Amino acid sequence: MSGKDQRLEEKPSLVPPVVAGLISLIVPGLGHMLARNFRKGLVLLLVFLSAAGLWIWRVNDAARREIGFVAMFKKAIQLQPIILVILIVIVVLYLLIAYDAYKSAATAKPNSFLMWVLVLTSFFILGWQIGEIRPAVLVRDGAKSLPLLMRVLWPWEKALYYPEELLVGSADVVIPCTENAEVPPRVVEEGDPYVTVTPACGDLSQIAGAEGTKLKMVGGNFAPNDETEIWWVDQVRNEFRYRYGGEYVKVVTDENGAFELDVVIPYRVIPTTGDKGYALWQVEARQVASVGKPVLSEELKLSVEKMIETIFLGMMSTFFGVILSIPVSFIASRNLMSANWFTKTIYMVVRTILNIIRSIESLVWAVIAIIAVGLGPFAGILALTVHSIAALGKLYSEAIESIDPGPVEAIQATGANWLQTVWYAVIPQIVPPFVSFTIYRWDINVRMSTVIGMVGGGGIGYLLIQWIRLLDYRSAGIAIWFIAITVAILDFVSSEIRNRFA
Amino acid sequence: MLEVRNLTKIYDDGTVALRNVSFIVPDGEFLVVIGLSGSGKSTLLRCINRLIDPTEGQILWDGVDITSLKGDDLRNLRRKIGMVFQQFNLVKRSTVLTNVMAGRLGYSPTWRSITNRFDDADRERAQTALKRMGITDQANKRADELSGGQQQRVGIARALMQEPKLILADEPVASLDPVLAHSILQHLESLNKEDGITIICSLHYLDLVQRYGTSVIGLRDGRVVYEGNKKQILRMTDAEFKTIYGEEAERMGGISGELLEEEAVPDGEEVTE
Repeated sequence: MSGKDQRLEEKPSLVPPVVAGLISLIVPGLGHMLARNFRKGLVLLLVFLSAAGLWIWRVNDAARREIGFVAMFKKAIQLQPIILVILIVIVVLYLLIAYDAYKSAATAKPNSFLMWVLVLTSFFILGWQIGEIRPAVLVRDGAKSLPLLMRVLWPWEKALYYPEELLVGSADVVIPCTENAEVPPRVVEEGDPYVTVTPACGDLSQIAGAEGTKLKMVGGNFAPNDETEIWWVDQVRNEFRYRYGGEYVKVVTDENGAFELDVVIPYRVIPTTGDKGYALWQVEARQVASVGKPVLSEELKLSVEKMIETIFLGMMSTFFGVILSIPVSFIASRNLMSANWFTKTIYMVVRTILNIIRSIESLVWAVIAIIAVGLGPFAGILALTVHSIAALGKLYSEAIESIDPGPVEAIQATGANWLQTVWYAVIPQIVPPFVSFTIYRWDINVRMSTVIGMVGGGGIGYLLIQWIRLLDYRSAGIAIWFIAITVAILDFVSSEIRNRFA
Repeated sequence: MLEVRNLTKIYDDGTVALRNVSFIVPDGEFLVVIGLSGSGKSTLLRCINRLIDPTEGQILWDGVDITSLKGDDLRNLRRKIGMVFQQFNLVKRSTVLTNVMAGRLGYSPTWRSITNRFDDADRERAQTALKRMGITDQANKRADELSGGQQQRVGIARALMQEPKLILADEPVASLDPVLAHSILQHLESLNKEDGITIICSLHYLDLVQRYGTSVIGLRDGRVVYEGNKKQILRMTDAEFKTIYGEEAERMGGISGELLEEEAVPDGEEVTE
């Protein structure tokens, strides 16, 4: 510190303090530069220019329909008052930079704390505005998403499926009552639901007029204590549900699965009589009854299948990644490749390629792989393998670089050759980190393969994104639960294994 | 007989570790190399088994210049030279037995050794070496489970497996407490006296040097600044001490030369300085 002070004393400001301040008002930061504080001045100039530039962009963004900056500015602060706050902060910062330039020229070590706080403040407010952060919206509308959230959090209603059967009993009704009407014989098996009506014929209701014939409907062999709907089927096989007084009519069966109900033949526009002079209708009692024991739902089964696919997807890509990255890691290790310029060049090239591959996200690799081999788990495996090679290649080579050279030296000193030295001194040292990195990578790959699925790389992610798009949040919830459980188990297992090998 | 002639080592970064070092080690000697850290002791020892290639000069071992050996010749040289290290340099995760067997690698075919198949004679040798070092019980433990003194004995057992004619010991007791230091040096001394193995050992403490060395060379900044035999070590004067360790060095431990000068030298020989 004293050395720095000394240097400042030796080289005083090029300009008087007031001039430094005034110059700073023209170009923020220039005052500091003239006060022999070049780096600080440059930083402040860049800070000020970027803050001002970002602010102008946000004004344009907020009021893009207005013409002319003044109109835009007015509209922007009207829509988003925070833009005015940012302007005030930037102006205060501008003045503070000038004041700081004055102080810098006047004293060796000005206290610039407030100015730097303001620099950070201006950028955080800008960030708040750019990020469209609106806590009020979260508070106001967040509650609306709660039912959806609950379905995701507790989706198990959909885990079981109750097989259902439609129980139908029907009886023929001849309209109007006709002698010798041809009613096809009806065979009801013993124990099957049945319906009878008396009389089995009658007249339709008239629109805003007389009610049709009242029929006494008796049913039996239905599921007990269950809601039953009444439907009509007219002569052209049109089905419509029976209403009386505007309401759908329902009847609940007794404990024996029987019911009794009076029904009135409804109104119908279609001509009732054909060439035979009468129409044959049916009146039906319909019941949706659950039969048998509940079974696991299709969604659950599909989730399990796809979860297994995902785990194996992660496993296979880790396997290929490990196999391919081990040789790569040896030629990417500085300590093994520093023998001459040729090996050093290989080391540099391999390292660079690994860095480039690693910097491309596996999601992007998945999209590329899908173009190459089409949708499905193989594309996911390819994508994760490529990324694993790069990531593991780097981790492995760092493990090789950090081995203790002592044992290597000691084994060499016994007269061992290269292969013996690697086998006895290098391999035992790199096994623990290799195992640990491999397990860690498997962990990452399973996690990633859930995401890879979302772009079509196979696995449970594909199901998940489909269900979310279908707004089937319960099924999505099941998938999310499986992912969470698997990841948690994997986390535990991998940390256990890594601890054991440490 | 080992003869070092005008040995110079300059590292790639320009550091001069050894400058024109010459000395002779007759067979059966316990030569102690003393000097400050960075004086070139480790470099000197590693030049002898060619873990480091010297820049200039020759090392003649029984008349053969070993500085130009390559490939199999170099490995055949190395297997006759055991080495013991300050940090023991055991493979920590391997068992004691595996570490000891590693001393036999120079004699074993590659394929057999990496599949861990050593012949019965080698296993016999390993048992003998372990027994001699008193660590038979520890054979199946992992090397890093052992205490420092035990690890160093494994290191010596490994060197012993090579059936060496020469053992290089690079500050073998610098990481051990004084009691263990004596125990380890006694093991080396017994190899020297009973088996006739030449020992070149770098040490820090003068009392150990006086107790175990049969001759001494002192290095400073890569130069030999002191040579002495057993009697001369015992009579090392403060002036000699300071040529090795520098003017500001304070003598600790060991017998001072001036104090001895009045007394009779143990076997009554004339001391030449």
